[in-house]
Amino acid sequence: MGSLSSTSSRVPLWRDVRVLRWAFQLLVLAGVFAFIFWLYNNYQVNISKSQIQTDLTFLDNPASFTIPGNDFDQSQPVRDALVQGFLNTLRVAFVGILLATLLGTLVGIARLSGNFLLRAVATAYVEVVRNLPLLLLLTFMNLAVVLQTFPRIEDAWLPLDLFVISNRGLALPWFEGSGYVLLGVVVVALLAMWLTVKIRNAQADKNGKPAYGLRIGVLIAVVIIASGWLLLGFNWTLPFVEGRGTVGGLRLDPSFFALLVALVVYTSSHIAEIVRGSILAVPKGQGEAADAIALSSGQKMRLIILPQAFRVAMPALGNQYLNLIKNSSLGATISYFELTQVAQITVGNGSPAVPAFTLTLLVYLAISLVTSLVVNYFNRKLALVER
Amino acid sequence: MKKPMMALAAVAASALFLSGCAATDTTEEATTAATQSTSTSTDTAASVSLLESVQAAGVVRCGTRDALPGFAVLDDSGEHVGFDSDFCKAIAAAVLGDATAVEMVDLETADRFTALQNGSIDVLVRNTTWTATRDGSEAATFLQPNFYDGQGMMVAANSGYSSVSQMKGAIICVSKGTTTEGNAALESSRLGLNWEVRSFDDTDLILEAFIAGQCDGWSSDVSQLTGFRSAYPEGAAALAILPEVFSKEPLAPAVLDGDTAWAQAVNWAILATIQAEEFGITSANVDQIASSTQDVSILRFLGQEIESSDGSAVLDPSLGLPTDFAYQVVKQVGNYGEIFARHLAPLGLERGVNALWTDGGILYAPPYR
Amino acid sequence: MIVWLKRNMFRSVGDSIISVVVAALAGWVVWQLLQFVFITGRWEIIQVNLKLLLVGRFPEELMWMLGTSILALSFWIGAVASSSKRDPDKKTSLIKTGFGLLSRFGLIIALGAIIIALAGTLDAVLLGIGTVAAIALGRLVGLARRRIAVLAKIPWLIWQILLVALPLVMIVQTLLVSDLSEWGGFLINVYIAILSIALAFPLGVFLALGRRSSLPIVRLVCTSYIELVRGAPLFVLLLLAGVALEFFIPSEIAPGAIFRAVTVFTMFTAAYLAEIIRGGLQSISKGQTEAGKALGLSTVKIIFLITLPQALRNVIPAQIGQFISLFKDTTLAGAALSMLELLKIGEAITKQDDYLGQGLVYESLGFVALLFWVGSYVMSRESQRLERKLGVGIR
Repeated sequence: MGSLSSTSSRVPLWRDVRVLRWAFQLLVLAGVFAFIFWLYNNYQVNISKSQIQTDLTFLDNPASFTIPGNDFDQSQPVRDALVQGFLNTLRVAFVGILLATLLGTLVGIARLSGNFLLRAVATAYVEVVRNLPLLLLLTFMNLAVVLQTFPRIEDAWLPLDLFVISNRGLALPWFEGSGYVLLGVVVVALLAMWLTVKIRNAQADKNGKPAYGLRIGVLIAVVIIASGWLLLGFNWTLPFVEGRGTVGGLRLDPSFFALLVALVVYTSSHIAEIVRGSILAVPKGQGEAADAIALSSGQKMRLIILPQAFRVAMPALGNQYLNLIKNSSLGATISYFELTQVAQITVGNGSPAVPAFTLTLLVYLAISLVTSLVVNYFNRKLALVER
Repeated sequence: MKKPMMALAAVAASALFLSGCAATDTTEEATTAATQSTSTSTDTAASVSLLESVQAAGVVRCGTRDALPGFAVLDDSGEHVGFDSDFCKAIAAAVLGDATAVEMVDLETADRFTALQNGSIDVLVRNTTWTATRDGSEAATFLQPNFYDGQGMMVAANSGYSSVSQMKGAIICVSKGTTTEGNAALESSRLGLNWEVRSFDDTDLILEAFIAGQCDGWSSDVSQLTGFRSAYPEGAAALAILPEVFSKEPLAPAVLDGDTAWAQAVNWAILATIQAEEFGITSANVDQIASSTQDVSILRFLGQEIESSDGSAVLDPSLGLPTDFAYQVVKQVGNYGEIFARHLAPLGLERGVNALWTDGGILYAPPYR
Repeated sequence: MIVWLKRNMFRSVGDSIISVVVAALAGWVVWQLLQFVFITGRWEIIQVNLKLLLVGRFPEELMWMLGTSILALSFWIGAVASSSKRDPDKKTSLIKTGFGLLSRFGLIIALGAIIIALAGTLDAVLLGIGTVAAIALGRLVGLARRRIAVLAKIPWLIWQILLVALPLVMIVQTLLVSDLSEWGGFLINVYIAILSIALAFPLGVFLALGRRSSLPIVRLVCTSYIELVRGAPLFVLLLLAGVALEFFIPSEIAPGAIFRAVTVFTMFTAAYLAEIIRGGLQSISKGQTEAGKALGLSTVKIIFLITLPQALRNVIPAQIGQFISLFKDTTLAGAALSMLELLKIGEAITKQDDYLGQGLVYESLGFVALLFWVGSYVMSRESQRLERKLGVGIR
């Protein structure tokens, strides 16, 4: 006993928890480093054998290909081509997220509708789409819908003479002139609307009278857009067929259309489930309270249920948005010129594969990171403030 | 209750995986074992020529494709047949003395150089254009072209186009990751035609898009276009190939940079087919010529003994190939003319520049002596 | 009936309009679908290429091994399913049991019947009957263990090993004898999915434990791996593996397409599984760990004997969900690595000389969709069933 007590103040090294913890961590770290070194070493050995390029100088070489629907010139460097691809990725992802959220929310609400038929159809939609591979939907959109069902340009469908639908893409009525002017006006209108709603609601909180904030806001926005239209004079242009193409309007590339529809349909089926679950997660009392103060079912959904449901749904929705962005890389399989397709083409034209694809991966990582930051921001904004 | 089940599942899965590896790697083991046995020091695989390792392994891995009519398609039994496939076989016949000792590796267009660089194939015979950039930055060494081609344009016969310059604003479809993309873009800007060039993963997809009318023109090497035209479902007459050829496309086999012995061996396998045609040697008459001819240059070429004052001798140019490699190539595969007649003539392709230099073409083999 | 209609479809004017519009739309879609399936569809393209779609270029002379493997697996499934505990008090009628089975597995049975009908050979019919018989036999053997005292004495683990031996030997034998590069079609989708999830599972467990570890370096390593992989698109990872995997492994290993695909799917799935398992670990109350500590168990023992088993059990449905999405994602291997999996073959057969340009994409992709859909749907239904059975979220 005595001999033990003299050493008990100093636990032997191999039994000291702190030492063991650090030893274990160092071991793990050494293992990870050894593994990375092993990979790196293999890489060096194999690369030196095959004498291929490993740096990023290829970014300055001329791209020597063109990008449909873009005035990108083939003499511009690979770097610019990748930027254009990146922009195309953002384009399809942005529109896709908007439409998928809209459709998914509607389907999610429909799944809980009191109307049996509507509920059944919404359920069937979700169950069918959710259990199919996205690539299958995309291939189907491209081969079966666009290539086989849409007519040739010579006998294009012209619904209402407003649209031109053929297997060379869709053309919609659009504004003439610079898109930026239009964008500016719309942004100003939306800002004004948001401010109105904010101010009216604040007033309503004070004097307790109905706010009608949204209605007045929409009115103001419409007035701003209308006056912008009159003052700046942007016009509609309608698309029409000329020769083997369309003139006027906004032309959507067939591959863009196929990719967009596939992404929206697939993601919306997942969003619908999230929305449904979140609506169910809103305490029943909330709905009953809304009924008690005689809100209409539309008001109940819009003012009481959905705002609370989206608070619950936000993290899961964010995941779906990330998935949609990453899934847009499948556009390469149907030759939509997004980032992955551009990377594949430039690799085929002589850019070194490993740096080019690694760069592509890093760009996706960056997009994912930014998106999750934005989602987290909204998540914090929406979160219940607990006091 | 659940835990032992999972353990069982894990055991089962690892067994599956291990056996899976074993099954995939059986063909590779021979190769790597051979590589290891021939290498003298620990890690000098780079300094061992593929020629030795291929001969030790007993099989040539040839990068090719499976759906280009005339050049390489799968027949009913799943075998590769075509012009390029025959050159793969010729290389195997020259290096190993057995035209069947070849493993055809199907590659996507965009992956073909990577396959060469990472050593999953020994030689690339896949309709590949020899360009300076590919020579340089793709680490490929191109050899004697087996087909001199040029890029052209195919349109629907009823489209009304009779010349490339009429195709203003047209949609042109090409294969992803090929020289055709660049050539089409260049031609478009040179003639101010403002083409929309769309790239597709494989030619099957282009065919689909072309049939559906999504493309106005299909631009590719004329030989390829001819092949697809001959196999078009509505008949070859429904398509027209425009007269312009707007690029030089020498299609050549390629090997990895830095392996001269292997490059020379493959090169001479190609050249042997050309030289054989020049000599008039075919797979049918090679035995008879070998036994009866007195022509010293033919005897040398076929690796026959040549009588001289100090006994008889066989010419061995020290290429690392068997001395009768040319005999084996001609006997088992045929000469250039035979291969062309077998696969490309039925498509309606003319010899053109691919005739022997003695017939006004540019095929010219260095002397074998 | 009318009351029901009124209550469920025509509560108000707006409701009625919706009902009519939706009914018309749904009716039209169903009508078109029926017409396509029974009248306009030209299914001979599927009939002719059925073998290609299901097993790719799998050698004809080895097909009996596949058949035997399926029979052995069915036997195993039958035996394992019947050995699970059941409430002895609950007596269910035969009809009710039959109906329950039909609603659970009716889709699979229907799919089997469709495939047998398409194949139209004696072998296929025999295999179908054999599969049902093997399941029944397995069930009998499973019941026998409960009834016959001699069998009941065999320890549980040995009994399980005895049962699994036959299918395992058959499958391994098939793998050894046939050249894996000749596998294709639906077979390769299933094979890759099962192999990848099995390999990803242990990796995912360790990543999840690492991410929750109190050791900062371990946590950092695991977290960065998980987040890096989750931020990357699977398709680009596959493309990268297609051109670059061989640069990172010793040159003695020559990776085939399957090796590449399994590597990427395993790495990818492990990261997602890790997050699922982490969720499970978080749902275990602290009291469990504290109780373990009170008993004087080591940290490792607490994790592997107390928290992890409970956590894994809680997230079984989520893990099945991950397997379903992996199963669907195996189609990417066709697009990125030119592997001849089901979707790729479905596309390719419409370009055969006999069918080129005839617009048979609906038929071929429809068949591909059917296989994937039935597989995923049945699995997700079973996982929901399991979820209810486990009572996750209720307790």
